[in-house]
Amino acid sequence: MRLFVIELRKERRTGVFLVFPSAGVLGAVYAFLVFHLRKDTLLSLPSAPMDILLTQLCGIMTVFNLFGIITAACMVCHMEFQGGAAKKMAALPVSAGAVYFCRFLILSMLLLAAAALQNLALLWIGRTDLPQGAFVLGTLLRFAGYVFLAAMPVLSFMVLLASCLQNMWVPLGVGVAGFLTGMAFADTEQPLFLLHPFVVMLKPAAAMNAKPDIAVVIAAIVETAVFLCMGFWLTEKSHYE
Amino acid sequence: MDNIITTERLTKKYKRFTAVDGVSLHIRRGSIYGFLGPNGAGKSTTMKMLLGITAPTAGSFSIDGRHFPEDRTAILKGIGSLIESPAFYANLTGRENLDILRRILELPKDTVDDALELVGLTEAGNRLAGKYSLGMKQRLGLAGALLGRPPLLLLDEPTNGLDPSGIHEIRSLIQSLPERYHCTVMISSHMLSEIERMADDVGILNHGRLLFEGSLEELRCYAGGQGKPAGGLGKSADGGAAAYLQPGGVRLEDVFLAMVEQDNAAGKRRAE
Ligand SMILES: Nc1ncnc2c1ncn2[C@@H]1O[C@H](COP(=O)(O)OP(=O)(O)OP(=O)(O)O)[C@@H](O)[C@H]1O
Ligand SMILES: [Mg+2]
Repeated sequence: MRLFVIELRKERRTGVFLVFPSAGVLGAVYAFLVFHLRKDTLLSLPSAPMDILLTQLCGIMTVFNLFGIITAACMVCHMEFQGGAAKKMAALPVSAGAVYFCRFLILSMLLLAAAALQNLALLWIGRTDLPQGAFVLGTLLRFAGYVFLAAMPVLSFMVLLASCLQNMWVPLGVGVAGFLTGMAFADTEQPLFLLHPFVVMLKPAAAMNAKPDIAVVIAAIVETAVFLCMGFWLTEKSHYE
Repeated sequence: MDNIITTERLTKKYKRFTAVDGVSLHIRRGSIYGFLGPNGAGKSTTMKMLLGITAPTAGSFSIDGRHFPEDRTAILKGIGSLIESPAFYANLTGRENLDILRRILELPKDTVDDALELVGLTEAGNRLAGKYSLGMKQRLGLAGALLGRPPLLLLDEPTNGLDPSGIHEIRSLIQSLPERYHCTVMISSHMLSEIERMADDVGILNHGRLLFEGSLEELRCYAGGQGKPAGGLGKSADGGAAAYLQPGGVRLEDVFLAMVEQDNAAGKRRAE
């Protein structure tokens, strides 16, 4: 808890606290715009109204969040390396692994805030624009949880990369490359591609209905845990070059 | 004797290159220990091992009877350090930077102002550390080391980048520390006249090996006995001879240069 507060204080003036709310607001504004401009076209698609609401808007929101994750992870770690603070931290009585974990936690909570904003927008649209009786709150909540979970492997992966690589441009480049390859493979059926964290994140957006895919859920949980443990272990070990 | 740091044949190898080679140091409690050596001698590497930042390849050391890695937290709580260039968060002010350190070390709030005051950074405390001048960054680094007045200070070239009056000021500060509050200082510097004025003991390192360890007085006797300053006269004929003529006036600089030169020559002969 003490470490968590310290980590929060370190992020002052880095802009990290702006990135996720911006992604959230952008996503929400986008949802409103699309639904107001193209409401009739969207609702005449051959799917259930709830599926249309969730899957048609999910794509862009996911992309906003994804770039939010990439930038925020790079910012947080860049600030640690920039003035050589990481070096100073190594000579202080803190566990580098615990610091890493706090950083992961902060970014997860910020992502959660962004997702909350976006889902509030969906809730609003669902209440006002869907045909009478078509909106189901349970479905929205379940899908929101599913999308958030699917985003966690990318977050875990980006924090791992950005914490281990001093040059900010490398994780940034890997993030963009991950996004592009993820886009390319997001709609393949081959389960092996679920090993790619960016594919996992884009899966909910690529699906045609709002039913969570159990394979994606499992892949998300496993990958998040694996990257988190790897990062914890690597930062803890890097004390002793 | 009461030593706060003892190292036992401490060695660090990077691949095949030996940066520190079987160094056994003895640092007395409450003393100022000057750690000397030319560039690349292994001073910073030795200090990094003492802080647990790099693991020794061989050998061992104890700090106040404690050992790495099992006592890591306890050891690091009692050491204030400044290794090579100062390290800080560029997005935070000087005061916020110290506050982060204070929270990690679990010290009371007023230690931050105390440290800023000690290094003369009170006025600039609320400016961004990233925008500090080199000397101010150095002072901030020093303030970070002095935070909470720890019993042991490891300072690697603390006067690097300071102006002449700053050097004088920081030297007086460091010199006064063991009296002000009972602490031990291990300091490396290239300013030999500095070390000569403030150190009680010195250790001289060259190519990772410890050439000499002892008090300044012992060094003078040792050098006198071996006729070392004379060996250095060819290079520094100006001050060297004059200083040598004064009773007890052997300059550390001459002794140091002669010692390193002789060791380098011996090293070359060994290599051939
Ligand atoms: N991480 C590393 N990998 C490989 N070699 C290293 C590493 N760190 C230091 N060295 C080497 O170890 C030697 C000793 O370096 P060190 O920084 O301890 O010297 P120093 O005595 O502090 O020198 P200076 O007076 O220039 O600060 C140098 O030759 C350096 O190249
Ligand atoms: Mg050095």
